[in-house]
Order: sequence, then structure tokens, then C-alpha cells
Amino acid sequence: MANQWEVFVMDLGELAEGKELELTIRTLNPGIHKYTYQRVKAEVSGTLDKFADRLQVRMGRGQLSDRKFSIRVIEQVQRMPARYL
Amino acid sequence: MGKISAPKSNREFIEACVKSGDAVRIQQEVDWDNEAGAIVRRVCELGEAAPFMENIKDYPGFSYFGAPLSTYRRMAIALGMDPSSTLPQIGAEYLKRTNSEPIAPVIIDKRDAPCKENILLGDDVDLCKLPVPLVHDGDGGRYVGTWHGVITKHPVRGDVNWGMYRQMMWDGRTMSGAVFPFSDLGKTLTDYYLPRGEGCPFATAIGLSPLAAMAACAPSPIPEPELTGMLSGEPVRLVKCETNDLEVPADAEIIIEGMILPDYKVEEGPFGEYTGYRTSPRDFRVTFRVDAITYRNNATMTISNMGVPQDEGQLLRSFSLGLELEKLLKSQGIPVTGVYMHPRSTHHMMIVGVKPTYAGIAMQIAQLAFGSKLGPWFHMVMVVDDQTDIFNWDEVYHAFCTRCNPERGIHVFKNTTGTALYPHATPHDRKYSIGSQVLFDCLWPVDWDKTNDVPTVVSFKNVYTKDIQEKVLNNWADYGFRGRK
Ligand SMILES: Cc1cc2nc3c(=O)[nH]c(=O)nc-3n(C[C@H](O)[C@H](O)[C@H](O)COP(=O)(O)O)c2cc1C
Ligand SMILES: [Mn+2]
Repeated sequence: MANQWEVFVMDLGELAEGKELELTIRTLNPGIHKYTYQRVKAEVSGTLDKFADRLQVRMGRGQLSDRKFSIRVIEQVQRMPARYL
Repeated sequence: MGKISAPKSNREFIEACVKSGDAVRIQQEVDWDNEAGAIVRRVCELGEAAPFMENIKDYPGFSYFGAPLSTYRRMAIALGMDPSSTLPQIGAEYLKRTNSEPIAPVIIDKRDAPCKENILLGDDVDLCKLPVPLVHDGDGGRYVGTWHGVITKHPVRGDVNWGMYRQMMWDGRTMSGAVFPFSDLGKTLTDYYLPRGEGCPFATAIGLSPLAAMAACAPSPIPEPELTGMLSGEPVRLVKCETNDLEVPADAEIIIEGMILPDYKVEEGPFGEYTGYRTSPRDFRVTFRVDAITYRNNATMTISNMGVPQDEGQLLRSFSLGLELEKLLKSQGIPVTGVYMHPRSTHHMMIVGVKPTYAGIAMQIAQLAFGSKLGPWFHMVMVVDDQTDIFNWDEVYHAFCTRCNPERGIHVFKNTTGTALYPHATPHDRKYSIGSQVLFDCLWPVDWDKTNDVPTVVSFKNVYTKDIQEKVLNNWADYGFRGRK
């Protein structure tokens, strides 16, 4: 099954299409890891069938946006310094 | 002082609350994803019994205890008092116990410590193994710490701090939290760890005894382990951590050990807050890396659901902020008759009753209040005279609306300390904890002639002679009135 993701943004402009973005997203897949975050490189699209995974968006104070996106997670990015891993 | 018999653990507290009808056992399955939070929220808004949720989806063996202290009845039970004790009685008891001698904690052997029944280390560490709830829909994450204590130590001064600072699960080994720069932990970080680039060992204790939780969110200058001892009348049992030198309450349900990172931050928030809003923005905040998790068999996670009144944050913080200010003002010899915060003000308004014996007394009170360690947590001080019942909002509101002179009675303090949580603050001020505060002086000026300038309060109890009052009261039913006298 395709993955469900969620992202928090202050402005929908942060989700530019047609280029690689670096985003902090959380998984909405059911199970005990739901809502855990990861930092990723990804591409998003307002066309829902462009990529397999879905991305929903929340604004600054948790409001759910009615704009829906599809997303392709390219790879995970490790921001945390290696000495803490 | 008579022997205090207060619940010594979260378990004893739940048992006492169930027995008195102040908690309900919920045996049907409850989802950690929003459902448990919604139950706790509704309980707070209705002033209902605390929910003890014994069956949590995905987490067999774990349970939740929600809204542990959101009523004065449960607060009385926590203190080992009669549940029907009045607020002034509970307040007097708090003052008595916290003015007594500090009671030092005792260290016990690991084998006797319930919190060590299960120990997760190394690759086994995963916060997702705990039933961390999504408290409010739309929150920035699942919150591990909503009713808990974050334990740290100042490495030079040696003092131990237990503080209730919210903690969000970022991933299975990382949490982030809002540790304000003026809090005890905030000061330890800026004073010692951050300038040196050193990690600060921490331990989060969840499912504390209710009095340890009360101590962790009380703005008292007494270190919290001693304060807990004073509140409960006996030493707290502590046990050494697995991965650092800190000591944690042995009877806590869950312990999370790790290090606060000095030079790396992840996102935190937004979160439903005690003001009744989600105000503070998502931001990069203090980040906690987890090294170990220990927990009791059948561990119970405590959940506070902050939002519109009234939850335990509002109830308890109003209570302890008010009483700690009363102690401070009395220590300065100010003739206060009492200090009270309505929990419904979301602990934003301090009401102080005072005998107005000299000029500027309201200003002196406001300066002490705003200038103290308590100051960043409220932005309004209202000073009324000793004839006004500070617990009776009708009387206080009447005094405010009639005696506070718009030109001389309202004093604004600018560029003080605030918090990121103030709904009325600008986004810039929230980010930098910049505050502003206001005094409402509702005292008659001392230079008004008491006989000819000060207005007379026109009330039944103030303008009629005792004889007339008695006559009217005695005849009340005979006049044909059915209601109370
Ligand atoms: C439910 C709850 C959540 C709280 N969250 C925070 C927080 O995230 N950050 C903070 O600095 N204070 C928070 N507080 C307030 C502190 O617990 C309070 O200031 C306490 O007295 C800790 O004080 P200390 O820093 O003087 O030890 C919270 C209080 C409650 C009741
Ligand atoms: Mn403290």
C-alpha cells in the first residue's frame, strides 16, 4: 500500500513543484510508529496520481489544509550529528 | 504536625480516586490516537471524574490516567485530605506543609525500585514502545511528557531540578520540548551546558506520585525532591539511573533517560496549551536524545490535556503561583490578606487582597510579583482592599469596574519577561519571551478623606445596622421568600 505522510508548513509556497525539496515529514501509516518524523529529500506534486505516496498538509497552528499532494521520497537525510546517533 | 497519609504513588492515588468516585475505570479499548485525548479534554471541560483507561489500542499491558488533578477534590485526595475540603483549607494546608522543614529524599536499592521492572537499553530503546498519545488532533506530535517531571542537576551547584516541561516525540529516540529560558532547567542550560557545548544528562519521570507532580509544576524555590517530601510528610524514594548519575523517583511508572543536546535542535509543536489555544509556533527547540527506558509492569502513563478551562495545569499552577506569591509578599512584611488566581484566568491574573496602610502599596505588590521568579507566568495583577473577598469574583469584578481609575489605577510595565504561549503577545515577542504586564490598582487612594471622599459600599451587609439586618433575616421566610436567607 502507498504511504501516507504529513508535513507542517507556514505557507503552501514551501511545497514548490518540479524540484527536489528537503522536508520534515511524519508518517501517517497506521501502527505504533504513526506520527514519527524524518527528514527527507522529496518531490511533491499537486497532481494526486503523479507519485504513489500521499502527503497531507497542516499549517502553523495545526489546521489541516484542504490542498492534497502526492509525494516521492527520494532519500532520508540525517541532520543529527553522527556523534549523537 | 499530625501524620500525613497522602498517596505515595500514582497507583495509590488512582485507587483512592476510584474509591471516592473521583476516577472511573474504563475497560473498553481506547485509541491512543486522539480518542484518549478527547476523553480527557471532555472530562476537563465538564469537571468530571478522572478516566483510568485500562485497555489501550496497540499497547497491551499499559494504561492511561487522564486529568489527574483537574478538580479541587482530587487535589485534596492527593494531599491526603478530605475530598470535600474547601479551596482555602487546601491552600492553608499547602502553606503549612511548604513552610515546614525540608525532608531529604532517600536512595533505595535498584532491586526494590518498581520503575526498574523493565529495562530497555541500546537497540531496544524505542519511544514507540510506550503508549505515547496524540493528545489533540493537529498537534505537532505525540507528547510523551504532559504530566511528568524532567530531572536534571546543575553540575557545579549540585542542585537537582524536577520541572514539568512538555516533551514531544520526534522519533523513537528523540524528543523536543519547550524549556523556557527563565525556567530552572533553561537557566542551567544557558549557565553551564550550552556555553561548554556539553550534553546535559536528563531523566523524564512519568506517572509520578501526585505530590511529586505537584512539586514539579510548583514555582517554589525549594528543590522539588525536598518539596515533595514536605508535601507528603515523608522522604521520597529515589533510585539511580541506568545510564547517567541522576536519581529518579523509584515509584514512578516510566523513566526515560538520556541527554539534552547542546548544539542540535529538532522541530517542536504546535501543541494545545494551558491558555486554551495553540499559540506558540512550531520551532526548533530543546532536543532530548534517549538512551534508556525503564518502566513498571502494567505501567500507567499520566495525561494532561491542556486547553480551555479547566485542566490541572490551570488549577494547580493558579493554586501554587498564588500561594507562592502570598509567601513572598508576607516575607516582605506587606499586610496581604490573601492571594488568589482563578483557574479560569488560565493563571494570568493575580488577585491580591491587602490592608491599604500606605501609599503605593499596590505598586509595591506588582513590582515584587512581576519582578519575582513567578512573574513571567502572569501579566495582570489586581489589588483590592481587605474588605473585598478575593475568592468571590462578583466582589472583585465590582471593585475593579468601580474603583480602578483609568488614569491613575492602571500601570503598564513594558519590556518584561513573557512566554511564547501568550495569545495576546506579538509573534516577535513570543519568539523572544518578551512580555508586558499590567497592574490594576483597585484601592481607594490613601490621600482621599476617609469620611468625605471615599464612597460607601451600598450593600446589605455594609449599610444597615446589625439590628435591622437581623430583623430582616429572621423574618425572611415570614415575608414570603422561599429562597436562601
Ligand atoms: C502541564 C504543564 C506543562 C508545562 N509545560 C511547560 C513547558 O513546556 N515549558 C516550561 O518552561 N514550563 C512548563 N510548565 C510550567 C512549569 O512546570 C513550571 O514553571 C514549574 O514551576 C517548573 O519550574 P522551575 O523551572 O522553576 O523548576 C508546564 C506546567 C504544566 C502544569
Ligand atoms: Mn525548579
